[in-house]
Amino acid sequence: MNVLALLEMAAAVESSDNGACAIAAAKAGDLAAFESLMRQHERLVLVTAVRLLGRLEDAQDASQEVFLRLYRNLGKMDTVQNLPGWLYRVTVNVCHDMTRKRPASVAMEDLPELAATGADPQQSATRRERRRALRMSLRFLSEKERAAMVLRDLEGLSTEEVARALGSSEATVRSQISKARIKVRAFMERYFRSNI
Amino acid sequence: MNCQEWEERIALYAAGDAGAADAAETERHIAGCAGCQVFWSGMKQSLEWLREEHREPIAPAHYAAVRARVMAQLERGRALWWRQVWVYGLGIAAALVMVMALRLHVESPRVAIVMPAAVVKSAADAGRGAGSRPGVLPHRQAETILVKLETDNPDVVIYWIAEKKGD
Repeated sequence: MNVLALLEMAAAVESSDNGACAIAAAKAGDLAAFESLMRQHERLVLVTAVRLLGRLEDAQDASQEVFLRLYRNLGKMDTVQNLPGWLYRVTVNVCHDMTRKRPASVAMEDLPELAATGADPQQSATRRERRRALRMSLRFLSEKERAAMVLRDLEGLSTEEVARALGSSEATVRSQISKARIKVRAFMERYFRSNI
Repeated sequence: MNCQEWEERIALYAAGDAGAADAAETERHIAGCAGCQVFWSGMKQSLEWLREEHREPIAPAHYAAVRARVMAQLERGRALWWRQVWVYGLGIAAALVMVMALRLHVESPRVAIVMPAAVVKSAADAGRGAGSRPGVLPHRQAETILVKLETDNPDVVIYWIAEKKGD
């Protein structure tokens, strides 16, 4: 085993210990420990929410709700290993609730942010257009298809982990993922008929 | 199996979700089918764009904003909890004090009911000897004291005759 792998293992163990300590302290009412727990998992929650909802402000609202639910359910958290799976599941549920409550018409409002990142205006415009098309394509998916695709293709979870997070079987997730990919591809083809 | 039926398998194969046998079969089909080659390259392209699109990091300030909102809400909740503890605590303490006061008030007349029979008899004899009216107890006799206790019920009045010993 090489040194890099050993270092990675040591870092993983240390991070797990920190997480366990933070959970124990947060359970005892230590708010600073809870804040540290949030720091450890905020990327997972906010990024997933952005990918599911398509709008940063909505994703921030969803993340806030997820962490408040985490605080209320700290007593039920046995080990830190279960936490990411729990967070994915709750994030998906909170985002689904928000989608049902709010109209989806404002989902692409933060597109101008991207304009500053490309040096070439032509390239930048193409990317913006592609971004718009991708976001629109995700909106044509069902809730379950979108969640399965986001967790598998963007978050990189295994099919088994996605199934656990969504509370369905692996076969169902596989079917949802393939349908979602076909729909996105078809949408992109129609949108950029000449380029894809 | 027509090409439309291959689409689902190609979609799974595109991101490594097909089993080994399925993957090999799909590869063979793609190699010999022009339509599925187009579908396959389009699938790869759209997945690549999707991943590229979502690779962009979120600015740290956005995470900090969420953290601040959560912490503010938790602290507000905690302050509210302490306020409720104080309010309920004071309420319970006040209720306890009221119950204690009520119990003292109710129990106080019962103390005076005990009357030693010998004392009552000697006081009655002394009253008759002094020529008082029958049934009226002499007030301020040399050795006896008459105590009148009034209860909450106006029809019930308790007289207590006791013997005075010393000052």
